[in-house]
Amino acid sequence: MTSKECVLQSLNHQQPDKLPMDFGSSFITGVHCSVVAELRQHYGLEPRPVKICEPYQMLGEVEADLLDAMGLDVQPIFPQRTIFGFPNENWKPYTTPWGQEVMVSEHFKTTLDDKGNTYIYPQGDMDAPASGHMPKTGYFFDTIERIDPDFDEDELKVEDNLEEFGLMSAEEENYWKEQAEIYRGCDRAISMHLNGTCLGDIALVPAPFLKNPKGVRGVADWYMAVADEPEFAKKLFDRQAEIALDNMAKLHRIAGDVIDIVVVCGTDFGTQESTFCSNDTMRDIWLPRYKKINDWIHENTKWKTFKHSCGAIEPLLQTVIDSGFDIINPVQCSAKGMDPKLLKEKYGDRLTFWGGGVNTQQTLPFGTPEEVRKEVLERCEIFAPGGGFIFNAIHNVQALTPINNMIAMIDAVKEYNGN
Amino acid sequence: MIPYATTIRNGCAVATRFITNTPTNKMSTIEDLKTAVINGKRKNVKVIVPELLESGLTPSALLEEALIPAMAIVGEKFKNNEVFVPEMLVSARAMKEAMKVIEPELIAAGIKPKYTALIGTVEGDLHDIGKNLVATMWKGSGFNVVDLGVNVPADKFIEAIEEHQPHIIGLSALLTTTMPAMKEIIAAVRAAGHSDVKILVGGAPITQSYADEIGADGYSRDAASAVDAAKSVLAAA
Repeated sequence: MTSKECVLQSLNHQQPDKLPMDFGSSFITGVHCSVVAELRQHYGLEPRPVKICEPYQMLGEVEADLLDAMGLDVQPIFPQRTIFGFPNENWKPYTTPWGQEVMVSEHFKTTLDDKGNTYIYPQGDMDAPASGHMPKTGYFFDTIERIDPDFDEDELKVEDNLEEFGLMSAEEENYWKEQAEIYRGCDRAISMHLNGTCLGDIALVPAPFLKNPKGVRGVADWYMAVADEPEFAKKLFDRQAEIALDNMAKLHRIAGDVIDIVVVCGTDFGTQESTFCSNDTMRDIWLPRYKKINDWIHENTKWKTFKHSCGAIEPLLQTVIDSGFDIINPVQCSAKGMDPKLLKEKYGDRLTFWGGGVNTQQTLPFGTPEEVRKEVLERCEIFAPGGGFIFNAIHNVQALTPINNMIAMIDAVKEYNGN
Repeated sequence: MIPYATTIRNGCAVATRFITNTPTNKMSTIEDLKTAVINGKRKNVKVIVPELLESGLTPSALLEEALIPAMAIVGEKFKNNEVFVPEMLVSARAMKEAMKVIEPELIAAGIKPKYTALIGTVEGDLHDIGKNLVATMWKGSGFNVVDLGVNVPADKFIEAIEEHQPHIIGLSALLTTTMPAMKEIIAAVRAAGHSDVKILVGGAPITQSYADEIGADGYSRDAASAVDAAKSVLAAA
């Protein structure tokens, strides 16, 4: 069975020959560039600077040689533009604030302030206000909230928050044609992020890819706007879904046969202790729009739909299923009520768990290799039987994760698979 | 004419007089202010507060009898999963609207809060929703809160301690990579001789055992519980 067949078997809730594993196929299942460098060294791969495939979280590209060495089963096709609005092209060297030599896009333009904080610019345009900020001792960027001086929270306009959701450009169309040619026939499952289907993803609300965003762009402002004006959110999401349907149809014509998994939405519905909204609110504001997108996908393609939400979302998982999602990620078992056994028993026949493999808040960064091994094997025993599980840590592997723990995790999955 | 239209939100009957602009002769009450804060009706608060002050109520009465109990109710509802972060944010915004008017009057009248708190997100970390909610909940329970913002290094905390003489400090971190900064800040504060000030920690990856390990005086798992946690360590002082 090829990697692709194993992944598809598992996504169809059938027992695959081996438990499939993913690191690096999306921007929520990735690995910090510092850890990618250590992995390359550990596996004795050609020494070369890691490419920053996702500059916001400073994720390193898990290239083909590392995919092979780690025994990974999913190949990403990255979006044409990064979260800072520029294409990853014409790579150039860059030294990170922690002293790592990496490769970044030629459009990755930064400045330093007198305190050593790094600022990055939307679309590589240094005349625009910076849209990302990495503290001197940080390991990735956070978005800068750029609030339009004319913004009035009492006069919300859907059009202002729609600027980023347009029809696919000719440039993007060509990109997808090229990518489809590269990956057609790949024996790994292919995953990609859909463009424009994230409904209220808080990482995207500040629009770090736009030069001068209008509308609701503050994080707290956004949460309050949705609570105060649910009709505004519904209208915005309706428009987003309409545009997305057109774009998905185009993407399907170009590369539909190549793609296996589409990351539809990364909006977080959970905190460590609770949900971000009631189930009724999710069903009222989000479910109908998600369903429109996911129903189109299921009626017209063979793609599996992937939903990311951190946190304690067990009370919302039936709604996630009713919204038409096939896959839930990152399965934050460390959050309240997210007991692995309960999740598998209650939802395991309908949802694929993509993640949940090890606690990235405690065990992976701070545990011993043996503690990591034990937890990984336990999670595999719970989640893997009958398929519906793709092994991944819980969200991206963060900077400062000890390499021995990383290797203990990978080796434990191989041990589970009998290798 | 019905002076109050009533709607139900989060299980509470809410007077919508101010939203609908229905004319009425009825004066606002302390209870109206409380309800407006609980339900996050900032615009109502803006109307009610001057009315109440004009009617002769003191700023202290507004704080003690409306804002503090209102935020306590919001905290309870949050703990019981009846309201969530967005509703807490709108209530916090409504409370701040009231405080804009009340706080200067309290200061002018020489009324000082019993406790002063410093709060900040630790160096290397830019996340502030949790920290802001804790700040609001502390403010909403009558503390004087000095918010140092995000990415705050140890020396800034020490400078602020010397300037504001706080009873308690809140340290927030969202990231596993910035958790060690908490430990460094606690060590630096203690090394600078500030052994009396209580230090509370919180943030998604933080646990009670981590708080104990790094020598924090207390830990809170969420913003609503941060009030109880602060009162508990201060009572033990």
